[in-house]
Amino acid sequence: MGTLLKVKNLSKSFGGLLALKEITLKVAPQQIVGIIGPNGAGKTTFFNCLSCLYHPTDGEIEFDNTPLATPVSNSVKKRVRISAIVFLILGFIRLPLFWSFFLPKTFFKVELFLLGIFILSIRFLLVRGLLRHEIWAWGLMFIFLLSDVCFALLFLTRLDPSNTFFLTPVPLHYIAIPWGVAAGLFGFYFIGLLCTQNVRGLFGFRTSPDAVCRMGMARTFQNIRLFYNLSVLDNVKIGRHGRLHSGLGKTLLKTRFQRKEEVAVEKEGLQFLRFVGLEDKAFDLADTLAYGEQRRLEIARALSTEPKLLLLDEPAAGMNARESENLIQLVKNIREDGTAVLIIEHDMKVMMNLADYIYVFDYGRLIAEGTPDAVRENQKVIDAYLGGGKDVC
Amino acid sequence: MESLLDQSSLFLQQLVNGITLGGVYALIAVGYTMVYGVIQLINFAHGEVYMLGAFLAYTLVAVVGMPFFPAFVLTLIICAVLGVVLDFVAYRPLRKAPRLAALITAIGMSIFLQNMALLIWGSQIKSYPREVLPAFFSEAAITMGDVTLSWLQIFILSITLLFMIILHLTIHKTRIGMAMRAISQDKTASALMGIGVNRVISFTFAIGSAMGGMAGILVGLYYNAIFPTMGYVAGIKAFAAAVLGGIGSVPGAMLGGGVLGIAEVMGAGYISSEYRDGISYAVMIAVILFKPSGLIGKQLGEKV
Amino acid sequence: MPLFHRNPRILFLAILFLAIILPWVPLGVSSNYLLRVLTTAVLYMILALGLNIVPGFTGLLDLGYVGFYGIGAYTSGLLAIHYDLSLWVILPLAAANGALWGVLLGAPTLRLTGDYFAIVTFGFSELVVLLIRNELWLTRGPMGLPGISAPSIFGYTLSQGWQYFYLALFLLLVVLVVVVRLENSRLGRAWFAIREDEIAAQCCGINLIRYKVMAFAASAAIGAMGGAFYAKWFRFIHPDMFKFWESILILCLIVFGGMGSISGTMLGALILIPLTEVLRTALPQSMFNARYLIYGLLLVIMMRLRPEGLIPFQLSRSRKAEQAKARLLGGEE
Repeated sequence: MGTLLKVKNLSKSFGGLLALKEITLKVAPQQIVGIIGPNGAGKTTFFNCLSCLYHPTDGEIEFDNTPLATPVSNSVKKRVRISAIVFLILGFIRLPLFWSFFLPKTFFKVELFLLGIFILSIRFLLVRGLLRHEIWAWGLMFIFLLSDVCFALLFLTRLDPSNTFFLTPVPLHYIAIPWGVAAGLFGFYFIGLLCTQNVRGLFGFRTSPDAVCRMGMARTFQNIRLFYNLSVLDNVKIGRHGRLHSGLGKTLLKTRFQRKEEVAVEKEGLQFLRFVGLEDKAFDLADTLAYGEQRRLEIARALSTEPKLLLLDEPAAGMNARESENLIQLVKNIREDGTAVLIIEHDMKVMMNLADYIYVFDYGRLIAEGTPDAVRENQKVIDAYLGGGKDVC
Repeated sequence: MESLLDQSSLFLQQLVNGITLGGVYALIAVGYTMVYGVIQLINFAHGEVYMLGAFLAYTLVAVVGMPFFPAFVLTLIICAVLGVVLDFVAYRPLRKAPRLAALITAIGMSIFLQNMALLIWGSQIKSYPREVLPAFFSEAAITMGDVTLSWLQIFILSITLLFMIILHLTIHKTRIGMAMRAISQDKTASALMGIGVNRVISFTFAIGSAMGGMAGILVGLYYNAIFPTMGYVAGIKAFAAAVLGGIGSVPGAMLGGGVLGIAEVMGAGYISSEYRDGISYAVMIAVILFKPSGLIGKQLGEKV
Repeated sequence: MPLFHRNPRILFLAILFLAIILPWVPLGVSSNYLLRVLTTAVLYMILALGLNIVPGFTGLLDLGYVGFYGIGAYTSGLLAIHYDLSLWVILPLAAANGALWGVLLGAPTLRLTGDYFAIVTFGFSELVVLLIRNELWLTRGPMGLPGISAPSIFGYTLSQGWQYFYLALFLLLVVLVVVVRLENSRLGRAWFAIREDEIAAQCCGINLIRYKVMAFAASAAIGAMGGAFYAKWFRFIHPDMFKFWESILILCLIVFGGMGSISGTMLGALILIPLTEVLRTALPQSMFNARYLIYGLLLVIMMRLRPEGLIPFQLSRSRKAEQAKARLLGGEE
């Protein structure tokens, strides 16, 4: 039985504030793991790092044997920054001195301009591969973009649209130039992709939240985030988004594939609603649901993404005793179905009943971990959280 | 080829003009930035307050016959009141509404005010008749070779500087300034601390609008051309200045205004005068794309 | 009646059919005028449907729509003047050009927050107009672009007012089909999700940038197509026709009718555009130039009193939901 989620020494700081310090955590498939801790202990921040909404300051996250975030060595960062600055300076020196003054006007032909755009696209795309994964690659790309824009503009000031190899009427160039740029970008997209595959290993990278969802990690939120102006069923259908395949073309042409998919989505959506007990409210606006029902809807939406791991952020908040019991049963059913659950909860009854293993957070650090019974007895936990000597459940 | 001396004096003259224009933009930009700081809304109607300031001063001086300096002060007061009314009528009811609704309201108010001015004053360009202005305005005060600095420019620069200093002192040394800074960081917490949030916001609008109106009067004097659509373009440029300096930061707005004014005058002089407005748009787009937090501003994240 | 209840699109087609009957009412000279007004209304319906995709479906304020309108108009005008092309070539080309610019502008700017994005779109449309006005070698600038040939369909050149009306109607139908199909699909739902809550949408597997750019490009394509039609209809275009006010007007149409709902958007255009014409005849010229005063006021009032518009988005969604329920329970289960 392998590990589904592996977190090693995760740290996150916001400016001067250290929210998480060296968290190490593991979740096995079909396991229910709990996280408890006082408010402000960093639990939701932890979830946000897992979903890749935040970029960890340090540490590693590995989900389903795929790294979500790995640290970047500082020497590599420095090297990249230095080369970026060198590129920039070269670019700026080269342009005004050389292009505008020393070359004869006949040099500035439209086709050469387009060619220049193609070549610059390669450089752009080489960096673009980093973009998806590493936040500071943005800076690099902007530097290149700035330099390239300057090149393009200066070239344009010397460019006379009638100066071409081919004889076409003047206005067409104005339309042709952006097409040339677009063709260059698309044309070199694959080359750029190939070149950047290895680059990924060199630098660290971060996955985007939507990719994380597609990989199989879904979550709910502490303050419920539903799509309130849509119907209950629509909310769940949106959860199916990552598992469907109809794109722009198929939608516009209303192909059989798309129509079949829509029918299937409707059925599947109702099934998930049935699972949480909201089937009869399928066509009501999400706005109109009661608080407990809204929480269940959020869980249904998360489940419809077919996750391997479900992150629940305080699902029992604001629930009475009966609702909590239903929730416990629901989470057990989810585990039966094959999904692991990582759950943050303050309600001790829920937690002790559900969790196979518990981690305890306090001020951003892990102060204890173990089975529910072990944690209950642990003195540090009692002092920090449960209140010395009080009966728990 | 012009002599080096001619070139440098042209450059200096442009610089002087640029700084003057920059001061005006800074005045307007400060209004934008303060309002954005407290309620996170781009007050599109701010440009219109600027325009109304110009028109009000003109009407008081040229039509009603008031002497200049009292008219100046009266216009400032009216503009401040106008700003407060704007907030009360259009923005306050939408404090809790989604951002899109507030933005649309701001645009609606801007359009309404602009066309209101068009209706009242007509689309003809108005200018101050010579007699009603204090005589020394058009005289040159300092002349160094070919570079002249008129009394009007000195007036504009000194008033701008004076009010910037007053504003800075207000924000950092008075209680209400502290309240403004508190609200821009966390509105709910400020309210819980006993700060009358709505009153402070009204005060912010009052100051911002007064400064915007003052900028309008100054520009009306400087270019001697007042027309209803002047707020539209100046508004966007001032917003560009505010963004350049870092929206939400008052010293940023001052810096951004200065930089943009100089860039615009230099650009119009040396590159192309047709794309004069385009320079501001391009600067704004560039700043927004590459460094949205501006030169001085701070980046704000969203709490999940 | 059950037919209408089952599919509101049929209801609207019925209304459209009635609109077709109208031009045949013989009213002498005034019938040409009425035709022109109706054609303008249909054109604005097309434009409003296009704009609706961005603030209506996806929740992003786009202030630069007139830029795409202008690009489409000038693309079509220039193509018509320099080449002799059929209408069916010009319209898709103009739409494609619009979409391209939508992608070029959208890709870098759509990662910004809503306020900044609105300002950038505004700046873009202003730059487009400035470019049109100043680049004389391309667009003849302030002299305008006269002499655009009338549209030719399969060799037959359009000349009568009612022929343009039917053409506009046909284009409206095409755009309507496109937009309705988009609304009830995975793509449309992704857009709604982005509008409602971006972070939750991301955590449901929706790549924000990709879908925002798609929405922007789609809206740009429709706007450009509207512009292309306009150029071929009016046969003369001038930079002053593409001012920022047009963007506001179209925004007003969708805010008034109901942002996000297709029928609301069309209703908004159908009501406000003829109203503009009534104002044009009723008000003196000086006041007419200030008609945007009313639109500004309308925006403010609508946001205050009925931000959902005439036909709220939720209504159209739940109506479709009712149909879906009926279909499911009655049919395929």
